[in-house]
Amino acid sequence: MNDVIYTENLTKAYGQTFAVNNVDLSVAKGEIYGFLGLNGAGKTTTIQMLLGMITPTSGTCYLNGEKVHSKNKDIWRHVGYMVETPYSYPELTVRENLDVICKLRGIRDKSCVDWIIKNLQLEAYAAKKAKHLSMGNNQRLGIAKALLHHPPILILDEPTNGLDPAGIVEVRQLLKELAQNKGVTILISSHKLDEISKIATNIAIIHQGILIKKISGEQLEKQLHKTLLLDGKNRLAIKHTLLTAGYKVTTNNEENSPLQMKEANAVHDPGKIATLLVNAGYPPTLLQVVKEDLEMYFLRTIQEFGGDQHE
Amino acid sequence: MNKLFASISVEFKKLFHSKIPLITLLTFMLIPFIGGFFMFVLKHPDFAEALGFISTKAQIIGSADWPSYLSLLAQAISIGGLIIFGFIISWIFGREYSDRTIKDLLALPLSRSTIVLAKFLTSFIWCLMLSLFVLLVGLLVGMMLDLPQGSKGIVAEGIIVFAVCATLTVLLSTPVALVASIGRGYLSPLGFMIFTLILAQIVAVAGYGAYFPWSIPALASGAAGNKAYIVEEVSLIILLFTSAFGLLSTMLWWRLADQC
Repeated sequence: MNDVIYTENLTKAYGQTFAVNNVDLSVAKGEIYGFLGLNGAGKTTTIQMLLGMITPTSGTCYLNGEKVHSKNKDIWRHVGYMVETPYSYPELTVRENLDVICKLRGIRDKSCVDWIIKNLQLEAYAAKKAKHLSMGNNQRLGIAKALLHHPPILILDEPTNGLDPAGIVEVRQLLKELAQNKGVTILISSHKLDEISKIATNIAIIHQGILIKKISGEQLEKQLHKTLLLDGKNRLAIKHTLLTAGYKVTTNNEENSPLQMKEANAVHDPGKIATLLVNAGYPPTLLQVVKEDLEMYFLRTIQEFGGDQHE
Repeated sequence: MNKLFASISVEFKKLFHSKIPLITLLTFMLIPFIGGFFMFVLKHPDFAEALGFISTKAQIIGSADWPSYLSLLAQAISIGGLIIFGFIISWIFGREYSDRTIKDLLALPLSRSTIVLAKFLTSFIWCLMLSLFVLLVGLLVGMMLDLPQGSKGIVAEGIIVFAVCATLTVLLSTPVALVASIGRGYLSPLGFMIFTLILAQIVAVAGYGAYFPWSIPALASGAAGNKAYIVEEVSLIILLFTSAFGLLSTMLWWRLADQC
């Protein structure tokens, strides 16, 4: 087993309800693995089992080849983590909160506190009590606590929640750098495919506790549906012309929205459509191939599985 | 051992950056001053008469002398300690759940038992320091009042009774930690403390106080009207068993129960 993070038939049931059902994850060294799901899909429960915070009903988790269980405390030396919204001791300052983690992790070299404060742009807040931090800065502090001891494994649950756009980019870059330059293995959960797809090399989608899809970044690109949008002065005539030529044309319910064509022969050869319409005397004013929105892909995947979009 | 010391220092850091030490210290300071005030009232009947109902209450305590005063301090630490010590331990354990900081303590390269033990030791140390403070201030107040019957033997006996009562009450706070951990916050332990305090009074009145852990410190202090007595062996065993149960079950809860 060469995977740094590995789960086998991981299951957590509460009575008859399965929060996580037979989840198999495998994350290789240096990989950024996106773990995607709607709220309540089972992401956090899976992560909590990986971190030994809750005991699986069945199945096993391995980190660095070692089985996760309550007595195996040494594996946590190599793991940095953040579960859901991070909380810090409100009466302690940012620096003191980091010092606390340093002490509990047995780190003697306190320079790591300065390093992380600098890297996560927390210098201005270092002497500020955690209870006075904004949500975004609290999030930064949570990430700082996870990265403080330079762990080779990072498990982050919704790390960019509450961050402003600049903060999101910073964290994304930091994680990319850690994976690429330092070989850090990262499991990152989110309910935003758009965000995950920007950094993850592989993505797993969990829904209602079941892992419904595993896909690489490259495969994801290929699986995104494409649509040809077209419009013109006489939309009705254009539609009629295309239907007569044997194409399928749809419109959405919004007024003035362009016509849509999803067939491969239209999407892959829009020039042919343009020629057809010009020859018919209805030249298009809009002819654009658009890729499916990532969120739409995510919701479509869930719908194909047969689940509700919102739990 | 280093890990335990590190955990204790972290717990003290959290404790002393909060308002809990100040709140508990100020609350406990009421004990010697109120006790001293009662002694003053008993010692000066003219003043007591002017105060009306206060003098009546004060007379229940007995006479204005060192044995009564030290017995009063011991009774106060036995009964008030159940609340204050319980409050301290419920804060030390329950705040991790209320502030949701518990997650930071669960996947660390030190055992959860070490963290729990550090929390217990921190609360024990602070509770005993508070008791010592009450005793020292109490002795100072007693000296200022110039109470009679202050022979070395009487004062030493009073100090021993106070120390025994304080220690027994501190030991009884461990089940509060279990309730705070299971209840994941402050509310259930506070309810538990009030429940045990009321039950302790009822059981003591029914005559079974020696067998009910939360009645034992008060009985040892002489609150039942008898002279402070040496704790019976069976009472001591019951109390120590309760304390050990609270400590070990809290450790097991932290180790084995789902924490999030």
